[in-house]
Amino acid sequence: MTSETGFDPKLYDRFPTREPRPEGELEELERIWHAPTGWARLTVVNNNFIGTWYVGAAFLFFILAGVLALVMRTQLALPLQGILPQETYNQFFTMHGTVMMFLFAVPAVEALGVLLLPQMLAARDLPFPRLSAYAFWAYLVGGLSFFCSLFFGLAPDGGWFMYPPLTSIAYSPGINADFWLLGIGFIEISAIAGAIEIVVGVLRTRAPGMTLDKMPIFAWAMLVFAVMIIIGFPSIILGTLLLELERALNWPFFDPTRGGDALLWQHLFWFFGHPEVYIIFLPAAGLVSMMVAALARTPLVGYQLIVLALLATGFISFGVWSHHMFVTGMPTLSVSFFSAASMAVSVPAGIQVFSWIATVAVGKPRNNTPTLFLLGGLVTFVIGGLTGVMVALVPFDWQAHDSYFIVAHLHYVLIGGMVFPLFAAFYYWAPMMSRRALSERLGKWVFWLMFAGMQVAFLPMHLTGLMGMPRRVYTYLPGRDWEVTNMISTIGAYMIGLGVLLFVIDLARNFRFTAGDEAGNVYGGGTLEWLPTGLYSTRSIPVVKSREPLWDDPKLSDDVEAGRYFLPNSATGHRETLITSPIRAEPEYLQIMPGPSAWPLFAAIFTAGFFLLLTVQAYNPSIASGVLAVLCVLRWLWETDRPVAKAHADVGAGIILPTYATGPRTHGWWAMTVLLVVIGMIFVMAVFSYLYLYGVHPSFWTSPPDAPWLLPIIGGHAAAAGFALLARRLLARERTTLWTPATLVLIAAGFALFAFAIDWWSWRATGLTGATSGQGATVHAFLALQGILTAIVALMALYLAARNARGIVTRPRNNSMDLTVMFIAYTAAQGTLAALLTRLFPGAI
Amino acid sequence: MRAWLLLLGGLIVWAVHFFGLYIVASVFLTTDTARMLALLVTLACLIADAMLLAAAMRANRAADDGTRRWIASLAALGAAISLVAVIWQGLPALLV
Amino acid sequence: MSPPISTRSAIADALAGWPPPVFDPAGPYAGSITTLAWVLLVMSVVVLGVVLVALWLALFGSKRQRARVGGTKAVWTGGIIFPVIVLTLLLVYGLSLTRSLTAPIRGDEMRVRITGEMWWWRVAYLDGEGRATMVDANELHIPTGRPVVLELESSDVIHSFWVPRLSGKLDMIPGRRNLMRIQADRPGVFGGQCAEYCGGPHALMGFVVVAHRPQDFAAMMAARRTRTVALSPQAARGAQLFADAGCAACHRIAGTPANGLAGPDLTHVGSRRSLGAGILPNNRGTMIGWIGDSQAIKPGNRMPRYTVLPGEDLQALAAYLEARK
Repeated sequence: MTSETGFDPKLYDRFPTREPRPEGELEELERIWHAPTGWARLTVVNNNFIGTWYVGAAFLFFILAGVLALVMRTQLALPLQGILPQETYNQFFTMHGTVMMFLFAVPAVEALGVLLLPQMLAARDLPFPRLSAYAFWAYLVGGLSFFCSLFFGLAPDGGWFMYPPLTSIAYSPGINADFWLLGIGFIEISAIAGAIEIVVGVLRTRAPGMTLDKMPIFAWAMLVFAVMIIIGFPSIILGTLLLELERALNWPFFDPTRGGDALLWQHLFWFFGHPEVYIIFLPAAGLVSMMVAALARTPLVGYQLIVLALLATGFISFGVWSHHMFVTGMPTLSVSFFSAASMAVSVPAGIQVFSWIATVAVGKPRNNTPTLFLLGGLVTFVIGGLTGVMVALVPFDWQAHDSYFIVAHLHYVLIGGMVFPLFAAFYYWAPMMSRRALSERLGKWVFWLMFAGMQVAFLPMHLTGLMGMPRRVYTYLPGRDWEVTNMISTIGAYMIGLGVLLFVIDLARNFRFTAGDEAGNVYGGGTLEWLPTGLYSTRSIPVVKSREPLWDDPKLSDDVEAGRYFLPNSATGHRETLITSPIRAEPEYLQIMPGPSAWPLFAAIFTAGFFLLLTVQAYNPSIASGVLAVLCVLRWLWETDRPVAKAHADVGAGIILPTYATGPRTHGWWAMTVLLVVIGMIFVMAVFSYLYLYGVHPSFWTSPPDAPWLLPIIGGHAAAAGFALLARRLLARERTTLWTPATLVLIAAGFALFAFAIDWWSWRATGLTGATSGQGATVHAFLALQGILTAIVALMALYLAARNARGIVTRPRNNSMDLTVMFIAYTAAQGTLAALLTRLFPGAI
Repeated sequence: MRAWLLLLGGLIVWAVHFFGLYIVASVFLTTDTARMLALLVTLACLIADAMLLAAAMRANRAADDGTRRWIASLAALGAAISLVAVIWQGLPALLV
Repeated sequence: MSPPISTRSAIADALAGWPPPVFDPAGPYAGSITTLAWVLLVMSVVVLGVVLVALWLALFGSKRQRARVGGTKAVWTGGIIFPVIVLTLLLVYGLSLTRSLTAPIRGDEMRVRITGEMWWWRVAYLDGEGRATMVDANELHIPTGRPVVLELESSDVIHSFWVPRLSGKLDMIPGRRNLMRIQADRPGVFGGQCAEYCGGPHALMGFVVVAHRPQDFAAMMAARRTRTVALSPQAARGAQLFADAGCAACHRIAGTPANGLAGPDLTHVGSRRSLGAGILPNNRGTMIGWIGDSQAIKPGNRMPRYTVLPGEDLQALAAYLEARK
C-alpha cells in the first residue's frame, strides 16, 4: 500500500474498535450539534436544515416559473389571443427562462449537494457551514425580490439571454433590464460560494479510505459541476458587469458605433450559458447513476467510464458555446470547430445512457416511482440528445435555430436530463429527511402525468418549429397551420402542471421533516448517506473500503452507530470534522467548525438589499446596505480561525491528529485558491473582451500612456506583493515588535492602492475615458476590476490588523495572514498583467 | 499534482487543441493559412495524446495498488477519448 | 406574368405552415438542408429505436439477452463505438455541406441590401457598385434560377432573416454585414419571419419573397421604374392628405416631396402583397384599418394611431397608396 500524506493505512485495521465507548459521548455530540429553536432556527447552519430549505426554495421557484409557462401556453393555444398583452408576455418568457435556469436548476442541484454530500462522504457537515447558510439566504431573499418585479411590471423583458443592443439603454430605457443584471448578480455570488464549498467538501472531507475510485458518483458529478461553475460563471459575472457599466455609465462595450460589438456579449454569455446546461445536467446524471444502481440493487456498471464521461463533459462543454451563434455569420472554419466539439460532447452522454441501461439489465429494478422517473428521464433525455446532434450540424441549425424545434430540444434535454431525475431523487431521498416516505400510489400518477404531458407538450413542437414558427413570439397569425400543434402542446403543458400539483399534494400529505427518526433506507441504497444519522451526521465516521459500503459490510451501520470508527465523540468539545487528503482520503487534521450564527443571515439580507436598492437607483441606501453586508461578513469571520486549547486530539483508536493546521494543505488555503481561480477567470474573460474588441474594430484604438508610467505601476505592485510576503515571513519571528507583520500588510495594501491610483491617473492623462470607445471601456473595466480587488485588499489588511491588535493572530503561522497575503500577491499580479497588456498591446506588437 | 495531471492530461490536451484552433480561426478566418496552422496544432496534440496514452498504460502496469491502477487506466481512457475528439476537431481543417 | 393569386390571399399562402417549409424547399440552398434534415431525422429515429430496444431487453429480456445488454462490453459498443462511427459519418457530411453552402460569393450576382428595423425590413436593390437603385420594404422580388446575394444589416437591434423555403437563417447585427445567398427554382411567394427576438412585436415581423421568371422579373422592375401614376380624384385628395397629415415625415414616396426615412418606403406599397410587415393581406380594408389604428393590429409598432382621421380621409389615403404600384 502507498500513502499520500505519510499516514499509515495499516492504522485503518484498528477499526471497528472493540472497547465499549464511555458514557455521555452521544449526548455531548447532540448538545454540540444542537440546532437552535424558535426564531433562532433561522440562524442554523447544519446542512440538514440548510439543504432541505435550499431544495424547498428551488422547488418553489420551479413551481413559480412553471405557472408562468402555463399562462404562456394558454396564450399560445390559439392564434391572436389576448390573455397576455405583448409586453407582459415578453416579461413572462424572460422570467420563465431566467427563473428556471438561475433560480431553479442551478440552486436545486447545488442544494442537493449541500443536503446529500456530507452524508454521502460521512462528513459532519460541509467545510464552511456558514457560507452555505449565506449562499442560501442570499439566494432566497434575492430570488424572491427578483421574482416580485413581475408584479410591478418591472420584470426584465429582453429574454433570459439579454442580447444587447436590445438590452442597452437606448432600447431598454426602463429599470427592467437592470433587474435582470443585478438580480443575477447575487445569484452568481451564491452559486460561486456553493461551488467553493463543494470543491473543498468533496476533495477534503471524505471519510477516511474513500479513495477517488471509491467516491460515490454523485460526489464526482458535484466535483465536476463545481469546477465548471468556477470556470464558467466568471464569464457571465463579467458580462453582467460590462452590460451594467454600459447602461449606467455609457461605456460602449456592445455599441458598434464606438468600437464595441454586440457579439461580444453573446460570446461572454454563451461561454457561461452552454456549460450551464451541463452544470445542470451532470449533477442530475450523478443522481441517476446513484439511484439506478441502488434501485437495480447491483453495483453500477461502468463506474470508471462514467467518471470519464463526467470529466470529459466538463472539458468539452467549454468548447461548444458558439453553437448558439451558428447564425451570427462567424467565420465558417470557426463554426465548424464548434460543430465538431458539439458532436464530441454527445459521446460522454452516450456512455452514461448505456451504462444505466446495462445496470438495469444486470440488476432487478422494481416497478416503483423513482425507477419510473429514471427510465422516463432516460428516454426523454435520449430524444433531446439526438435533436442536439441534429442542431450540432451547422446547416441544419440554420433552419432550426431560434425556432420551436429548439424549444422542444432544450426542454427534452432539461426535463429528461434534470427534472425527471430530480423527481426520482425527491422520491428516493425523501425518506432520508422525512418521517414518512412519499406515496408510491400518488407517485405513479405524478410520473405518468408528467411523462405523458412532457411528450404531448414538446414532441409536436419539433414539427411546429420546422413549420416555421420562431421562438419568443407572444402570438401568431391565423392561417399559418400552427394552431393544431400549439393546442396539443398546451394540453400537454397542463398535464405536466397537473402532475406537479399532485406531487405537491403528496408532499403536503407525507413529507414531515426530521433529523432524527427518518423513514430511512426504503429503497436499500448502499452508500453512506443511509447510515443512521443525527444532526451531527453519523455517530462515528467509518473507514470506507468499497463503493457500496453498506452492501459489503452489513455490520457497518451498527458499528458506526456504536461509535466504533473515527470521531465517536467530539474530540475537542467543538463542532469538528475530519479533513482528509484529496486522492486517498487519509486523515490529516481535525477541522473546527463554526456553529449557528445570525451574521450569515444578516449578511445575505444586506447583500440582497445592496443589489436591489442599486437596481431602483437608491444609491445611498444601497451603499449603506453594502457596507453593512461587508461588516456582517467580517463579524462572522471574526470568530473563526481560532486555535483550540488542545493542539492535538485523539480521533479514535488512539490516532492523534492536530486541531489547527496552516499552509497549502488546509481547507482555507484550498478555498482561497479556488476563489482566486474565479477572480482569475473573470480577468481572463476581460482580457478576451479587450482582444476581441481590438480584433473587431482596430480603427477605434488610440495610443496608451507612455511606457515610463509602467515603472511606478509595476514597482508599486511588486512592493505590495513583497511587503505582504515579508509580513508572512516575519510572523514566524517572535520578537518583531517595531514592525509588526500587520503593519507590513497595511503597507502592502498602501502600495497596492498607490499602483492602482497611478494606473488610473496615467489613463486619465491621455484623455481616454470609459465612454470614448471600446478601448476606453475595456481599459476602464480592467481598472474597475483592479479597483475592486484593491478595496478588498485594504479591507483584508485592516481586518488582519484588528485581529493582530486583539492578539488573535496565531504564530508562527496563521491562516488569516496566509489568505490575506495570497490575495495581495494575486492582486499585484493581476494589476501588473492588466497594465502591461493595455499598454503594450497592440501598440508594441 | 502529478496524479491529477496524468488523470486529466488527455482532456487538457483536448482543451489546448480546441482553444488553439479557436484562436487560429479567429485570427486568420477561413483561409489556407488557418487550415495549415490548424493541421499543425492537431498533429502536435495527437502526438501529445499518444504519448500520454503510452505513459498512462505504463503507469497502469507499474501500479502497485488499486487506486493508482484505477487512476492510470482512467488516464488512458481520457487520452483515448481525447485522441478521437482531437481528430474530429481537426476534420474541419480538411473538409471546410 | 406574376404568380397566381389564389382565393386565400397570397400572403396566407406564402406563410402557410403545411407542408412544413423546412421539408418543402424551393431552391438549392434550402434543398440541400432538407436532404440533411431527412438524413438526421432517420438517424435519430434509428438510434432512438436502438436505445429503446436495448432498454426493453434490459428490463424484460431473457436471461441471455439481459446478460448481453448488461456489461461493460455493451457500454463500449453502445456508448462509445456505435456513436463514434455514426457521429464521424454525420460530421463529415455536415462539414462538407457547410463548405459547399458557404462557398465564396462570385460577385456578379444580383445584390439586395436588407436592413432589419424594429419591426420591419428595409429593402434596397443594389447595382454593381453597391448603390441603391430601388428602395422598397417588407417584400423582395427575385428572378428564379439564379442566386441572389442578400446583404443583411440592422439599424437598431439584432434581427434574423429567415425564409425557410429558400435558405436557413442568418442574423442581422448592428455594425456588421452578413451575406446570405438565396435562390428560388420556380416562381412563387415565400414567407418568412424574424427569428431573433427583437423586443415588442417581434412576433409580428414578417417578410415576403416573390420569385418571378427572369423575363417577368425584368419586365416588372422596368415597369416600376417607368410607371407613371394616374390618380383618381379620391386618390388625389389622399395625396394631399398624405402631405398634410404628416405621413411624409416618416415615409418616402419617390417622385413626390415625401422623403421621410424612419418608416417603410411607400413608393410601391400598392403592389405589395402584405401590410404591416408580412402580417395582413394588402387591400383597401386592411390599408384603412392599418392607417387608422395600426397599434390595435400590431401593438408597439412605431406608427402612431390616426383615429382622429374621419373615414373618408382614411378611404382617400388608402386609395392614394393603393395606386402606388
